[in-house]
Amino acid sequence: MQLDRRTFLKMGAAGTASTLAAPYFFTRASAQERTMSFWALNYTANPELKTSKWFKDLEAAWNDSNPVKIKVEAISANATDYYTKLATRFAGGEGPDVFLLSPADFLRYANANQLAELTPHMEKEAIDDFFPAVMATRMVGDKVFGLPMEVEPMAFYYSKQAFADAGLGEDDVPKTYEELIEIAGKLTTPDRYGVLFETNPGAYQVFTWYPFMWQGGGDVTTEDGKHSNFNHPGTVAALKLWKDLVEAGYAPREVLGGQGSQVAANLGAGYCAMQNCGIWGIAQLRDSAPDLEYGVFKLPTPAGQPNITVAGGWAFVANAGGKYVDEAAQFIVWALGSTAEDSKKRMLDWCTVAKSDMPPRKSVSEAGIANGAYSKGPLRFFAEEALPTARGEPRTPAEVYTMVSDAIQECMLNGGNPTDVAARTSDKIEDFLKTYHGARIL
Amino acid sequence: MAPAFSEAGRRSWSGAPSASRSRRGSKRARAERTAAWLFLAPDVIGLGVFVGLTMVLSLSMGFFRVSGFGQYTFIGLANYERLFSDAQFLNAVKVTSLYALGVVPAIYVAGLGLALLMQLDMPLRGIMRLMLFAPHVVSIIVVATVWRYMLASRVGVVNKVLADFGLHGQSWLGDPKFALATVVLVTVWFEMGFFMVIFLAGLQEIPRELHESAKIEGASAWQRFWYVTLPLLRPTSFFVVVIGVASAFAGGPGLDLTIAMTAGGPARTTTLATYYVYQQAFEVGDFGYAAAAASVLVAAMMVATIALFLVTRGGRGKNV
Repeated sequence: MQLDRRTFLKMGAAGTASTLAAPYFFTRASAQERTMSFWALNYTANPELKTSKWFKDLEAAWNDSNPVKIKVEAISANATDYYTKLATRFAGGEGPDVFLLSPADFLRYANANQLAELTPHMEKEAIDDFFPAVMATRMVGDKVFGLPMEVEPMAFYYSKQAFADAGLGEDDVPKTYEELIEIAGKLTTPDRYGVLFETNPGAYQVFTWYPFMWQGGGDVTTEDGKHSNFNHPGTVAALKLWKDLVEAGYAPREVLGGQGSQVAANLGAGYCAMQNCGIWGIAQLRDSAPDLEYGVFKLPTPAGQPNITVAGGWAFVANAGGKYVDEAAQFIVWALGSTAEDSKKRMLDWCTVAKSDMPPRKSVSEAGIANGAYSKGPLRFFAEEALPTARGEPRTPAEVYTMVSDAIQECMLNGGNPTDVAARTSDKIEDFLKTYHGARIL
Repeated sequence: MAPAFSEAGRRSWSGAPSASRSRRGSKRARAERTAAWLFLAPDVIGLGVFVGLTMVLSLSMGFFRVSGFGQYTFIGLANYERLFSDAQFLNAVKVTSLYALGVVPAIYVAGLGLALLMQLDMPLRGIMRLMLFAPHVVSIIVVATVWRYMLASRVGVVNKVLADFGLHGQSWLGDPKFALATVVLVTVWFEMGFFMVIFLAGLQEIPRELHESAKIEGASAWQRFWYVTLPLLRPTSFFVVVIGVASAFAGGPGLDLTIAMTAGGPARTTTLATYYVYQQAFEVGDFGYAAAAASVLVAAMMVATIALFLVTRGGRGKNV
């Protein structure tokens, strides 16, 4: 086909105009549909997964009976990537109507008044049904700003074969820091580390390290959240434990699979014999390392100290600046926080069918125990032994957990002296707290 | 003194038939100028909006406290003052400088060396060129993931090979002594194919006769390289150094590689300045401070580029 210059220019102009105008028409079309967006990590990215089916069922059930629809979107499996995209959308004034948020980033959105209050849409009976420790990090005063969908306590996974190879049995699982160092040493070979902790800096490493600090009596801040409590013997002991294990060559300086949360890529691949990981590891091993014979045990403690673990998990939150604030809040309460049976069943399915997690509601937890979901194997361990010792994942401003992360990195991987590092970090936290204005740090 | 044209002569230059031709000519020139601008417009508008305007906005944001949720508070130079007392920012600048000092000479030597090698008459030269360029077209996250596995302590293939030679394996990415050097090496591996192609283009611009004359005059291979090839490659060398420095300071593949391979660790020994900017913006949510840090980096990069221009006269050197 031959075109003269005028025809070519006309066609070019028409093409440019239609390209520029297209978003306007698409926007109008989507606006007429009245649809809320729901950012849910990447849970719906693979339709084969049970998590995808759960979200699709949730979407369909809501859309069947509500004029304002919901659309679940897969964003990213990587929390850092997910939060980057979330921050970008909020900075552009176009945050999703509903999104998943972990306690680590709660304050950033709550302090900027970006979270819609859910309390007016909830019955008191339902609020009281959530475990207080899990709910506390989603509340400001007595107002609820997020509903947790899961509770994920941390523990240790170990390879039974590795234990057997070292002449160890189930009774030898370490109970104290000293025993952990000793057993890790026995399990270490030229091709395998005895124990594995997260090595990457950032919020996840801090999350996994917290309970070691708590078990020695340390904490990031004082109870009122107004002063630093980091310069504490418990903090120093926790920093020293991780440092000693790495420097002895019993724990690696880097993890496989990109993150220490990946139990199949590390324990399942034989890279380590014991791994510090959360309850989600059960589903990972079931799907990716089904032949691995493994056991789980509680976090070792400083001698004579009580067991404490940390329990994380994601929560549904609504965008206070979104287009459908009330509908988004109603959706969240309908999905996870109503007294209706289908709301409870949905949470139970998420925690026991789609994933391997603990429910954040007492009634759902009881239902799970009653139907046998937590009656055997590792899930029983998490329900009966780990969960009762769990403390909710703290909510601290990013500035604070970055300081804690730097302290862990300095001692664990750069030869820092735990006593000096704890004192220095405590001063930095204290300086930051003098300038902090916002919801209480927990 | 102006030439003394007669009135008749003047008329003959601007007479009626010639005026018509001239009008046609100027009309065509105008049409061509318009067409040129129309062709340039998408790039000019794109650069203006997505580079120029963004830079101005970023520079302006440095004077504000920006919440990331639409609240802007003017704070003057406070962000800039904070920068120069921020030990972590200064550490990130130091790490970036070391990274640039490692990467730029290495990609120059590797790129030029490979280009010289690929100029030789050898079998399978095309396939070898392709293989050397291949890393550059692989997704950088895939590159980082594969290298992470290959470099893993105890189980990684690199340490397995070293163990066969009786060398005790190291944690290449987890030990502060080696982490930055390892990131530099992976960056060089990733980029050397690209710079090889740039140097190949530069080498093909050098007239063959010059080499032949030098050979007839009895110049050795080294002398021909030193006195013919290298001087005539100055513009290409300049381009490689400027792009290398800019890439090292502005992020380039090093930023993605460090995020995916080390997350800036261990103990911030691989935290590049651009990664620090990213952390301040997207992890801490301090967009104003991040913008101030980015502006300082851009200014430093511009100073370095201008200095390179002045010193090398834009790559033409003193003899040209």
